[in-house]
Amino acid sequence: MVQAAMTRGREARDSGGFQQHKLAPYAFISPFYVLFGFFFLAPSLIALVLSLFRWDGINDPRFVLARNYGRLLSDKVFAQAATNTAIYAIASLLIVLPLALVLAVLLNAKSLRFSNVWRAMYFTPVVTSTVAITLVFQILYNQDTGLLNAPLIYLGLEPIYWLGDRSWIKVAIIILIVWRSTGLLSIYFLAGLQSIPEELYEAASIDGASVLQKFFRITIPMLRPIILFVSIIVLLSSIQIFDEIHILTHGTGGPANASMSVVQYLYERGYSRLRLGFASAVGTVLFATVFILSLLQLQWYGVFRKED
Amino acid sequence: MDERFGRRLGVIALHVVVISGALLTVAPIAFMIYSSFKTTTEIFTLPPWLPPAEWSFKNYETLLTSWHFPYWYANSIIYAAVVTIFVLFFCSLAGFAFAKYYFRGKNLLFIILIGSTMIPFQLILIPLFILMSRIDWVNHPASMIIPWMAPAFGIFLMRQYIQAVPSELMESARIDGASEFRIYAQVIVPLVRPGLTTLAILTFLGSWNSFIWPLMVLRGNEVITLPVGIATMRSQATASQIPYGEMMAAATLVSVPVIVLFLMLQRYFISGLTIGAVKG
Repeated sequence: MVQAAMTRGREARDSGGFQQHKLAPYAFISPFYVLFGFFFLAPSLIALVLSLFRWDGINDPRFVLARNYGRLLSDKVFAQAATNTAIYAIASLLIVLPLALVLAVLLNAKSLRFSNVWRAMYFTPVVTSTVAITLVFQILYNQDTGLLNAPLIYLGLEPIYWLGDRSWIKVAIIILIVWRSTGLLSIYFLAGLQSIPEELYEAASIDGASVLQKFFRITIPMLRPIILFVSIIVLLSSIQIFDEIHILTHGTGGPANASMSVVQYLYERGYSRLRLGFASAVGTVLFATVFILSLLQLQWYGVFRKED
Repeated sequence: MDERFGRRLGVIALHVVVISGALLTVAPIAFMIYSSFKTTTEIFTLPPWLPPAEWSFKNYETLLTSWHFPYWYANSIIYAAVVTIFVLFFCSLAGFAFAKYYFRGKNLLFIILIGSTMIPFQLILIPLFILMSRIDWVNHPASMIIPWMAPAFGIFLMRQYIQAVPSELMESARIDGASEFRIYAQVIVPLVRPGLTTLAILTFLGSWNSFIWPLMVLRGNEVITLPVGIATMRSQATASQIPYGEMMAAATLVSVPVIVLFLMLQRYFISGLTIGAVKG
């Protein structure tokens, strides 16, 4: 009764307000769609079209059909960059992810004192400027006087040429990735650990389960959705890696392109050499890869599930 | 007795592992700060914990006087602050609409919003740069601000926070005759301060540390940002020696304030990162 009267009163009072109520949400969301259309959607479509042309930004674009893609797939440097990027992604999955999971479990242990202090220390790399820390690692990787070679030199062994050797440069970059992302991923795992009911562990303890048994039989199965989510984040960020490598190798792709990533390849061909059509083809291939991975991620988020 | 001893040992081992890992993690940052007080020769002298012959702020002095460092710093702060203000406004407004209104096409529009996060920035790197040069925004502050004012992620984040605000509050404000925008400004905004703080931190940090875009669109020492400026110090050096000491001072000044900010606002930062992850 009261509610009905209130509704009637409102409708009677503000016919203008009622219109406003209907239009307001469109006005509120419009900035996003305008900016998105102009700065993201339009360039994306331009990229797709441009990937079929040969263009240096100065002369008229020339239509070449799928030749950019053909050339891309037969290009040795691209193959190298794609392989390197895959190596970074796999290394992240096999090293960073398990490390972050174990770290989260350790940080979550009830018997750990001052856990906030240690957490803060582990999370610091997440906010540290990539440029700053890469410069530091450049010094640490120095062949003759870098800290990482100090033990080898001390023992009279041959020092490692971290930044000049085709294999070690990749190791150097992977170490940097491990340093940068382990803490970040453990934040996700910690959030997941908090949602595991304590009773499960208590029951297992009563049954005499060991720490390892609890980890493999309770923690890992319960964290499965988070592990999947984090794997996709790791893959997406590995595919887009650029900053660390660019700075560590002074804007080159490392010795004989040994550390070049796909995005670095894109930057080099498109921005430095102005092969705009070709670079757009690289972008499109990258897009296809990321699109598939993101679909998996959205599936996980439950976006395609009907809201209940 | 034995079991208690075993447990004790386990707790000790736990602390040893956690603490050594934590020290190893902050070691490069400590090395950076420590090195910023040393000369280049001292930076490369082993062992690294040897103190400098003379503690001095010389690297910082040179950095502030002989480099364009103050410009880079000011530029970074201005870009990050302006972007953050716009992001807070546009994202909370759109997040409000998606959380609290029913309107025609909402589902489709929301799918477009989420779908837009699937476009990797690298796909549009080259075409967006072409667009920037066509509209004369290369080397213009607008290129650092306008395209980044309403990120989908921020809208999603604000929607999550605003959904938790009881709709009755809006209803009663509406009965009092408040306009829709006033409901947003006076009812919603004050109640989602933690969400806004989270978004502000993430946005500021993202802009502050961004590298590839400013590297492409900004030219000239007066307009570039900190990360780009620091990355070019090696090639800009006039002396024959690479100015590692000054580079470490610059690295310290770009990262330490942000780390301090993070330590103070850690709670918001972590809730922003995990809001999507915990949902599932």
